[in-house]
Amino acid sequence: METLIKIIPVLILIYFGIGVLFGIYFFAKGAAKIDSLISESKWTVRLFLVPGAIGLWPILLIKILKTSKS
Amino acid sequence: MGVNYQTVLWNKNKKVYDKWIGIGILVYLICFIGITVATNPATSIETLIIRAFGTLAIALLHIVLVIGPLARLNTNFLPLLYNRRHLGVSMFLAALVHGGFSIFQFHSLGNVNPIYALVTSNMDYDSLTHFPFQVLGFFALIILFLMASTSHDFWLKNLSPKTWKRLHMLVYFAYALIIMHVFLGAFQQQPSFASIGILIFGFIIIASLHLIAAFKETRIDATVTQDTEDGWEYVCDVNDIPEDRAKIFIVEKERVAVFKYNNQLSAISNVCKHQGGPLGEGKIVDGCVTCPWHGYQYLPHNGQSPPPFTEKVATYELRIQNKKVYILPTPLPEGTEVTPILI
Repeated sequence: METLIKIIPVLILIYFGIGVLFGIYFFAKGAAKIDSLISESKWTVRLFLVPGAIGLWPILLIKILKTSKS
Repeated sequence: MGVNYQTVLWNKNKKVYDKWIGIGILVYLICFIGITVATNPATSIETLIIRAFGTLAIALLHIVLVIGPLARLNTNFLPLLYNRRHLGVSMFLAALVHGGFSIFQFHSLGNVNPIYALVTSNMDYDSLTHFPFQVLGFFALIILFLMASTSHDFWLKNLSPKTWKRLHMLVYFAYALIIMHVFLGAFQQQPSFASIGILIFGFIIIASLHLIAAFKETRIDATVTQDTEDGWEYVCDVNDIPEDRAKIFIVEKERVAVFKYNNQLSAISNVCKHQGGPLGEGKIVDGCVTCPWHGYQYLPHNGQSPPPFTEKVATYELRIQNKKVYILPTPLPEGTEVTPILI
């Protein structure tokens, strides 16, 4: 139990650490890959989306990979 | 519904609404800090900030949670529902200040990562009286972060309305965590019967309104059509439908809205493509069915959003005989044109 509790914050930090890196990629390229309307929108919109990308990066990564394959 | 994305879709009403949110927050903070300083001058500035923003976040969360059922019960509350998104984000920001200051004050002054310290500094997870209540607040904050950060139409479209809705329904889990966070924290620190009483009162209000709204929904679901001989089902008398409004019926287990406008009738699915809002509770504005939740619009005769927008809902065939309205229960493909029937 104690070990599990000590692992949880480490997992959270790793998750959000990867999320921050993904957020940078999402701002630069990723958002436009899953939604073409982003290219026609201001850069501030992409900046606005970064926190969501940090939080939901696994879902978005899967979406981007699927889009790249098809 | 936009053709490209805006950072924030401002309009005059939203600006007025946001101004009132700002004024409300400011008045609350001034009152809370003023009363606390007057009654307990020894309170440190950090504690003052933590408590002021913590209670503010809880108050805003209660308002956010009651807006939904209130709007279902009384259409006068619909403008609040329409503008609820900014209130939700304001609530998260207040919770973030509370959580951020708490972590900074209690967990960031050692040589251990503050998040690690938050979760592991008190390991009494099997004790109710010494439970590390801060952890509950932290997980609630993560949920609120996910909700606030996805409060943009980009997320609604790209996560799909169903996934987005599921994510945002986590607010009830966050609310439960916050209730436990406050109760356990209050019991372990300075038990305040007034604050616990307010929290219980708030819970009763939220639970009651949700139950009453759910009861109203079951009454709508009880409004089913009646079979007739040739596949058409009887809906209602034409005079039962108000002008530029609709009546909602259950047809083949789906909610359908029958609209009366310009001396004619059209039927479309009751479920808005945006967030599943009840189209039949909206009205005809500028010739379009307008969702009461966020103003998404559909043409009543084909269920399509007016160009350049692309949302579509299913349509239904109607007929009228001796002022009685009948419907074919099978939905037509989304966006199918159906000639409106003249009354």
